[in-house]
Amino acid sequence: MQVRKAVITAAAPDQTRIPTQQLVDQCGVEQSALRLILQEVQSCGVEETCIVVRPGDEMLFRQAAGDLAGSLHFAEQPEPAGYADAILRAKSFVGDDAFLHLVGDHVYLSETDVTCAKQLVDVAGEFECSVSAVQSTRENKLPYFGIVSGARVPRFNGVFEVQRVIEKPTPTLAEQELVTPGLRSGHYLGFFGMHVLTADVLDSLAQVLRDGKTARPTLSDALDQMRTQHKYLAFEVQGRRHNLGVQYGLLIAQLAIGLAGDDRDRILTELVDLLAQRPTGGNGA
Amino acid sequence: MAIDLLDIIRSSDDAVRHQSLESIASGLDAAALLGHASQLDAYRRDESNLYARVRALFFLSAIYRVHVPTALETQSRSDPSSEVGGLIPHEGYDHLLARRFTEAIDVFLQHQTKHGVSDAISSALAQAYHQLGFQTLADQVRRSVRTVRGNQWMFRLGHPDDHPLRFRSELLTPDTSTGVRPLLCESTAVRMDLSHSAWSDIFFLGMDFPAGARVLNISVDLGVRGRDDCPMPPIETYLRVIDEPVFRLASVDLGATAEIHTIGEMFDFARDYLGLLKAAVIAAGIVPPGLEGCGRPIKELLDRIVAPGKGLELVSKINDIPKGSRLAVSTNLLGSLISILMRATGQVQTLVGGLSETERRLVGARAILGEWIGGSGGGWQDSGGVWPGIKLICGAEANEGDPEFNVSRGRLMPEHEVLSENRVSEASREKLRQSLVLVHGGMAQNVGPILEMVTERYLLRSDKEWKGRQEAIKILDEVVSALEAGDIHALGRATTKNFEGPLQTIIPWATNRFTDRVIEACREKFGDQFWGFVMLGGMSGGGMGFLFDPRIKTTASDWLQTEMVQIKSELQTSLPFAMDPVVYDFSINDRGSWSTMKSGEEAMMPDRYYQLALPKLLQTPLRDLSADRRADLQAISRRASQAGQSYEDKGVPIRLLQSVLPDQRHESEGGQSLRDLLKQIGFDSEQHEQIRSDMLNGRIGLSQNRLSPSTTITDVAPNHVHDLRQGCSAEEVALGEQSIREGHVGVVTLAAGVGSRWTEGAGVCKALHPFNRFAGRHRSFLEVHLAKNRRIRRAYDCVIPHVFTTSYLTDQALRDSLDRHDRFGFDSSVYVSTGKSVGLRMVPTLRDLQFLWQETSEQVLDQQQQKVRESVRAALMNWARSTGEATDYTDNVPNQCLHPVGHWYEVPNLLRNGQLAKMLGDQPSLRYLMLHNIDTLCASIDPGMLGRHIRGGAALTFEVITRRLEDRGGGLALVDGRPRLVEGLAMPDEEIEFDLTYYNSMTTWIEIDALLSTFGLTRAQLSDQTLVDSAVRRLARRLPTYITLKDVKKRWGHAQEDVFPVAQFEKLWGDMTSLPGLESQFLVVPIRRGQQLKSQAQLDPWKRDGSADYIDGLCDWTQ
Repeated sequence: MQVRKAVITAAAPDQTRIPTQQLVDQCGVEQSALRLILQEVQSCGVEETCIVVRPGDEMLFRQAAGDLAGSLHFAEQPEPAGYADAILRAKSFVGDDAFLHLVGDHVYLSETDVTCAKQLVDVAGEFECSVSAVQSTRENKLPYFGIVSGARVPRFNGVFEVQRVIEKPTPTLAEQELVTPGLRSGHYLGFFGMHVLTADVLDSLAQVLRDGKTARPTLSDALDQMRTQHKYLAFEVQGRRHNLGVQYGLLIAQLAIGLAGDDRDRILTELVDLLAQRPTGGNGA
Repeated sequence: MAIDLLDIIRSSDDAVRHQSLESIASGLDAAALLGHASQLDAYRRDESNLYARVRALFFLSAIYRVHVPTALETQSRSDPSSEVGGLIPHEGYDHLLARRFTEAIDVFLQHQTKHGVSDAISSALAQAYHQLGFQTLADQVRRSVRTVRGNQWMFRLGHPDDHPLRFRSELLTPDTSTGVRPLLCESTAVRMDLSHSAWSDIFFLGMDFPAGARVLNISVDLGVRGRDDCPMPPIETYLRVIDEPVFRLASVDLGATAEIHTIGEMFDFARDYLGLLKAAVIAAGIVPPGLEGCGRPIKELLDRIVAPGKGLELVSKINDIPKGSRLAVSTNLLGSLISILMRATGQVQTLVGGLSETERRLVGARAILGEWIGGSGGGWQDSGGVWPGIKLICGAEANEGDPEFNVSRGRLMPEHEVLSENRVSEASREKLRQSLVLVHGGMAQNVGPILEMVTERYLLRSDKEWKGRQEAIKILDEVVSALEAGDIHALGRATTKNFEGPLQTIIPWATNRFTDRVIEACREKFGDQFWGFVMLGGMSGGGMGFLFDPRIKTTASDWLQTEMVQIKSELQTSLPFAMDPVVYDFSINDRGSWSTMKSGEEAMMPDRYYQLALPKLLQTPLRDLSADRRADLQAISRRASQAGQSYEDKGVPIRLLQSVLPDQRHESEGGQSLRDLLKQIGFDSEQHEQIRSDMLNGRIGLSQNRLSPSTTITDVAPNHVHDLRQGCSAEEVALGEQSIREGHVGVVTLAAGVGSRWTEGAGVCKALHPFNRFAGRHRSFLEVHLAKNRRIRRAYDCVIPHVFTTSYLTDQALRDSLDRHDRFGFDSSVYVSTGKSVGLRMVPTLRDLQFLWQETSEQVLDQQQQKVRESVRAALMNWARSTGEATDYTDNVPNQCLHPVGHWYEVPNLLRNGQLAKMLGDQPSLRYLMLHNIDTLCASIDPGMLGRHIRGGAALTFEVITRRLEDRGGGLALVDGRPRLVEGLAMPDEEIEFDLTYYNSMTTWIEIDALLSTFGLTRAQLSDQTLVDSAVRRLARRLPTYITLKDVKKRWGHAQEDVFPVAQFEKLWGDMTSLPGLESQFLVVPIRRGQQLKSQAQLDPWKRDGSADYIDGLCDWTQ
């Protein structure tokens, strides 16, 4: 299975400006967050990327992409009708092909020489099916992620056959329905914000939107529906994700990128210096 | 091959497993029993299976409590030299109090090995094994509750920042027109257990014997007959987001509100009356149990799970259903609160409407957790009101994947099968409604001891009780069939058969004199049209059901209301009633717990909430009120102006007005009547002020009760006592018999007490408490003592004057009872000696409270209950501090503010009120009196004892017994070389008591003339009141005054009760032995003769060890 296309969703009302934020990459070069995401996408052989944006945001994203803008397509989501609807807006771009899907407010840092996207695409290629990147997530983060439970696929490290997918479950429900054997207690497989999906997901997306069981269906709802009909795996990626959209998200992401890059020593020195300074104007004692 | 006790425990064959302990242990001698005990003890130490271990522990407890003492008694009869008194090592007792049961057992066993088996050490071992058994069970239930999937995360969470729950956005969004946030409302039914399947809903039973754990449980709506228009779900709970970062809790029934500012306060259950609401908040995961002790403000948590700067308000209402209704109101309220909180946080998917089965099970499991957290306990069927309609709830086998698998046979959570209309038709349901009258009899008793008894009896599989359980299981099938067939008459027959048969076989205390009287009255009044009786919950007297022919149901309901009140008024001085009986209207609730969301102007709290909130709202300047509080004021204004014409509505404006005006009537009433009363009964205010001043100055108090530490206190030697355990000599018996025949002897029964321990402070006349069935009906202590007197009179054809000494608190009740029963067939030789002394209770000093709770040994409770106890104590310290130390305790009904002043006064009272003079006038031959406590049931005119007293020639002869573990409170000791009785209060060190062999039974033989001479009086001088009064005062000054703290119940609201420790003073009879010049002698009598019934928890072992039958043999019931 070849993955040549990617879909990035960035249409949430509070997400518009995130991809345009500037970060310094591991080599010390200042780039927009969008460019970092696009580089991740391209690292695994993706040739074309569709970004789902709010009407009127295309120009902003093109500017943020800089010289990578040439491979971009855009789809608009007129109303904030939810995650499932956003992906489905890229239906014509996807066609019948498998595609890599990322969210527009995350940056990823691999813990190996292979980028996170490439790790995921390799697994999808091997198993010829949809695969979601996951990582072990402590229960206090449940309100932020879609969670899957699954059984380990024998002989393949970090690969799980998905049994349930629930978006932002309560810990009560997670404990009853989403426990995956082998994880530490109170830990679950949480979405990494990166998926390789076959075109089958489009039917599931359409179906959950038609069902109207929830007001704004999510990708998790569609994936939970899809797993009942198609093979669907989860893969524990060796890497870290950083959500830029949360409080201090950009700062933490920048620190993580910096500490993993060429300027690690310089940043550490600055940090130590900061830590050593006594805050002024507060109750220092 | 013969089987032994281990075979019974280990066998998987039901025929063996269900064998009783008695089948092996009965009739064995002490050595053989100890052999079995040693084998069981070794087994329980290594056995990994919890239930096998628990059964071994209860076998051991029963062996030491019942079988070993019996064997020792038999042995000592055949071999008098084998009689040993026996002591209990204090070290073991210390372990026991601190709940180090295994260590206690080890110490007791070592003592037994070293000194041989004795009655004393057996009692200690029995208690230690018993408590270890229950502790093991409680630990298992706790483990199971914690390991239920869906509950585990709550114990892992350690900081509010990690909280994984979020409030649903629907509850955060204000209404666009009014700006008011939505109000989530939940209404929940209560549950009625129609089958009463022999308490099979106790967790442990369900987990060990799932096949036998079945109940028929019906969700019902209620209305108080004559008060409410129609039955409604009695439980309503409300939840809303507020603009202040606090957690506001309110119970409209209890009139209590609280604002929680720190997470720690949420775990402080007894700080106010809102413990149940707090337990619900914790069990629902809003403030998960893992956060206890994290020391963070609640704002941090609310910021995280609700929204920054926002808070929550949780309100409960139970429509004034009184406590003790046996309809599991508190568990279902817990269920309702948990359900609404879980809906709001998405743990239950459905925000409005009913719950799915999975969700109900989740709420049910959390309710169990909540009960454990709150330190209370219920059965697994109790949250049945969360489910709809009629359901069969059954224990479930533990299967692979369940946390209980390989631990217990059954699961913690049972299965609920809601019976459809195909099984119980609408017509059958209607027939039930048309026949059944639900009532609250007015008694609110603690069923905890009953549940412990049931568990113990199940484990022992005693033949009679085990057969009873089998029968109850069959009766459940009859009940279900009758209901399915719509045959309510048959249903009534089955439930009555259950109550009068198996239930009372298993637990005789399931019924009482009140219940029996009401049932008798129904039978008498309605004959065949009275179809049956249903006991609801743990015991009768509170919530009960009566089935009538539908044609007379209305008449019967009205009649029952009047009749129950009438019977209650006759019995209220002898049984603890918390309220007047009421009759309910009910209907079956087919929805289960149900939620609605109200918004805009509809988002109104119940009326009484506003009555609670209004005073505070008005005290706060409008500018300081948050937006939602201002909206509350608007809502109140709207409610007052729009109140309709219904009865409920018409009172709204007035009640709102009353809520902000002072209640003059309430403030003055209590104080005034008490003052009048004190004046009327000649209360000695001078002495009272002296005591107050002494208490405040620290001259008297709990620590000053104690003798000086330099006092030498040792055990008495054999020559200080006369051991009569093997009987008296023939000469002494003959001497006693002659004296009885010649009319020399009378009886003084001390009956001034209100049974503080017996009824846990309920304040009834203990003498009149019908505590056990003898000769076909419940009899009181008074009747037992008279029946013993009757037997001796008939045996010796003589008259034995019998005087009951009373206090102001018991006098009228006792006299009424004697009149009502024609003095139980006795002539004028039964006297009542009216107490002349009465004290006014005081608020204790902080010093005494601290001494009681910190310096005195006491039983540490199970983990969660201990937390609750500590929280209660902190609240009580605050109460004492804010009310004022040593101020008069007047905030209760007058009878609960007054106190008898110790049994010493009861003898001088006989002199002061002329009763002794009268007795001597009526029977001049009278020379001796046998004085005894009301609860020393076996104290009787024993000719041998009397003969011994006469021969000894002492003024006072005290009967003492060897002690058992429960016999605490002093004993016979050598004090600075002189044998005398020392009260427990006076022991300089609690440990000393453990070196004293003999315990004071209080039974005293008195030589009348010698006693009078101690007072400096003669028979002739008894008519001189001034002389008598001054003689009594003179002697009183020579005796110590003790300060004691007693628990007193304050009743309020609808059968609510608070218990306060209050200070009172006492002078005690045993201190007569300390008077120089007054000669006393001491007789060691058999334990049975001196055994006392101090608390109702003793009743069951007392009945089981044959004491009840023994007493029956001393009595003559035919009038």
